[in-house]
Amino acid sequence: MAPVTEPFPISNVAGRYLLFDVDVISHVRRNHNICGVLIGTIPNLSQQNVFLGIPLQLMPEEARVLVEQGHAYIFDDAQAHMQGFFGMSRKDRLEFLRMMDERGQQRARDVRRKAEERSEKALREKGLLQARTEQKESEALVAEGDPGTDAGGSLFGSTPQLPANRRVADKKLAPHFITPTTSYPPLAPPSQPSTLALPEVPRQYPIYRYMQSKGYFAMPGLRFGCHYSIYPGDPLRFHSHFLTTGLGWDEEFELLDIVGGGRLGTSVKKTYLIGAEEPEKEEGEEGKVRAFSIEWAGM
Amino acid sequence: MASEAVDSPPSLIPQPNGNGDRLTVDKKNQTSLENKLKPIGPKRRPYTEIHSRPLPLEVHPLPVFIPHNPLSFVRIAINLISHSFRPPSSHPTVHRGYFSTETQSIHVTNPQSIVALWEQGFWGSGSLSRTEPQWLEHEKRKRGLGESKTAWEVTQERREARRQFKLERARLERETIEQQLRQEGKLASTEQVPAEQEPVVPVKQTGAFPISDANKTKNEFGPTEDSQEDRQNRQVASSDRDPSSEEIEDQEHLQLTLEEAFFLTYGLGALEISKDEISLSSNYLFRLYSTYSNFPIPENSASHIHNLFRLQEQKYKDTLETSDVLPIAPDNPFLLKYVVYHHFRSLGWVVRDGVKFASDYLLYNRGPVFAHAQFAVMILPSYSHPYWSATPDRKEESKKKEARDWWWLHRVNRIQTQVLKTLVLVYVEVPPPWDEDLESKAFQVNIGNILKKYKVREVVMQRWTPNRNRD
Repeated sequence: MAPVTEPFPISNVAGRYLLFDVDVISHVRRNHNICGVLIGTIPNLSQQNVFLGIPLQLMPEEARVLVEQGHAYIFDDAQAHMQGFFGMSRKDRLEFLRMMDERGQQRARDVRRKAEERSEKALREKGLLQARTEQKESEALVAEGDPGTDAGGSLFGSTPQLPANRRVADKKLAPHFITPTTSYPPLAPPSQPSTLALPEVPRQYPIYRYMQSKGYFAMPGLRFGCHYSIYPGDPLRFHSHFLTTGLGWDEEFELLDIVGGGRLGTSVKKTYLIGAEEPEKEEGEEGKVRAFSIEWAGM
Repeated sequence: MASEAVDSPPSLIPQPNGNGDRLTVDKKNQTSLENKLKPIGPKRRPYTEIHSRPLPLEVHPLPVFIPHNPLSFVRIAINLISHSFRPPSSHPTVHRGYFSTETQSIHVTNPQSIVALWEQGFWGSGSLSRTEPQWLEHEKRKRGLGESKTAWEVTQERREARRQFKLERARLERETIEQQLRQEGKLASTEQVPAEQEPVVPVKQTGAFPISDANKTKNEFGPTEDSQEDRQNRQVASSDRDPSSEEIEDQEHLQLTLEEAFFLTYGLGALEISKDEISLSSNYLFRLYSTYSNFPIPENSASHIHNLFRLQEQKYKDTLETSDVLPIAPDNPFLLKYVVYHHFRSLGWVVRDGVKFASDYLLYNRGPVFAHAQFAVMILPSYSHPYWSATPDRKEESKKKEARDWWWLHRVNRIQTQVLKTLVLVYVEVPPPWDEDLESKAFQVNIGNILKKYKVREVVMQRWTPNRNRD
């Protein structure tokens, strides 16, 4: 794992806050109690959604915490692409294309080598390889001086004793076309903007920030009917302890919600937690967050 | 699971099924044992007999008409004639209650009324019991006077049994893990737990906890209310008092919710609410209940309304001090709840408060003693009348009152799924205000006309997962 330099960029794509770098993902998980949700599907199995991979989508609250604490900055990924690719100089572009071609060639070579190894293995298993090489050697002796047959022979003879044949074949090999998977080798990594754009957060943000600052991990809690399910450590190691709902300081809510939340929480061995932030008393001062946990006693 | 890993017949290990409230232990043995041990006592009346009347009214149906038997026609004729001369009363007894401002409910203290209201339609709940007023019976039993177990005791026993079951299950799981660890050599075998020597199926052999009782409750008493919920473990404190039979005073009364009481008064005419020996009109009660369902309750509102009523009675209309009486809002909580209550009661459901399942009402098919509630009702006001979107202010206000977030829906739905009830969202269409000119109408409300303004829509919600709901 490569060390991550802070602040790291968070891509904003269509209103989602995404992380594309595995190192950054494990960094935020280890050091900042932020899990996010993996949303990338496997390209050749795009229908399944059981196993998902990068990118990692951050809740707006998570992105906001990272930005507020100076660990990260948000940049508009679409805009960065437009600027980066349209503003690229001709020399850079050609260099990039040449690099891509090279990678394509390399890929084609790899593919062919794999195929040859496979066929060789199969032949050896059937005990045909010995006969074939002997036969070919005799053919080569006969047709010596005629370069035309070399190419045909090289398709079968894949032993490293025949480097001359292979070099000839390389020229005829069609390169593979590579689709680049990252944009940030060709483009320079996005620079940190001078003004920090804070992500828009829902009104339950204060309770999230509060719990995160206490070292808790949060995952979305929609399936439990709460805003966050709060874990005492990494969700891979712990069950969650709290079903958390954030409210406004003076917000009125129904008592049935407490009954229901408490009931639901207790029946899944968790505690229902509600909390709110005291309104700011002075300009710029963050209010105090107060939280209450509710549990059914008789279950 | 752990119980399967243990090398013993898995059928003997108690497995909680479904909602986790029933214990399926080797049933055959248990029941045969029960039959032997069961003391022969006075037989209980069957529930169908106790609750044969669905409402606290008496009906006088005509005798059956049998076409090929001319005598049946004569019987019908006699009946018709006698009824026309002396019409039988459908209200043989009108129960009495009073409004308690502290608890915001109706109290019924007459023991006959309490029994009748519970038996005929499951109205109200006992103030010292869980649902059915049973405090006296329970108290008698505690002093060694009563004969049969109350539902409350049954629940206590079941909870105790369940607690024991859970402890046992936890122990089994722990042992399995330890055994596994020992097999894998990760745990020093010297750490032999004494529990290892115990039989792994202590449920039957030790008989340490009364699972048999838990089963018996199912067979004898039918499902008691909310058996899925609380696993409370309060031990019944056995009193050391002398069981000499001094008369125990019944300290319990029946509490009716405002909706129940109003339905009994206005809908059925089977309940009379009185204050200072004067029975109150439903018109007055309507205003009173509506005022008391608001929060915060305006100060002294009860006395204001009462004064109003007294003055009206005495026809001193000129001296009415009216400014203290507020008009009833069209989306008054009592009104919304009553509309829904009336709706479902009229359709024949037994409607009871659903606060323990975080819903507004629970709907029982015949009653709580017969079967679990089938539906849980959530009431949602709906402001689709054009009046509510006429001005931006009003629109915003009503939007706010209608709005529920997804978290709310998921929470409610999950709770109801857990207790195997179907969630019914009941939308009540709120009409424009109708009580603004209360002074000109002399504070009279035409309740029937007002209830007609409300419409009720039902939406049934159910979790549907393709994997689980495949039939």
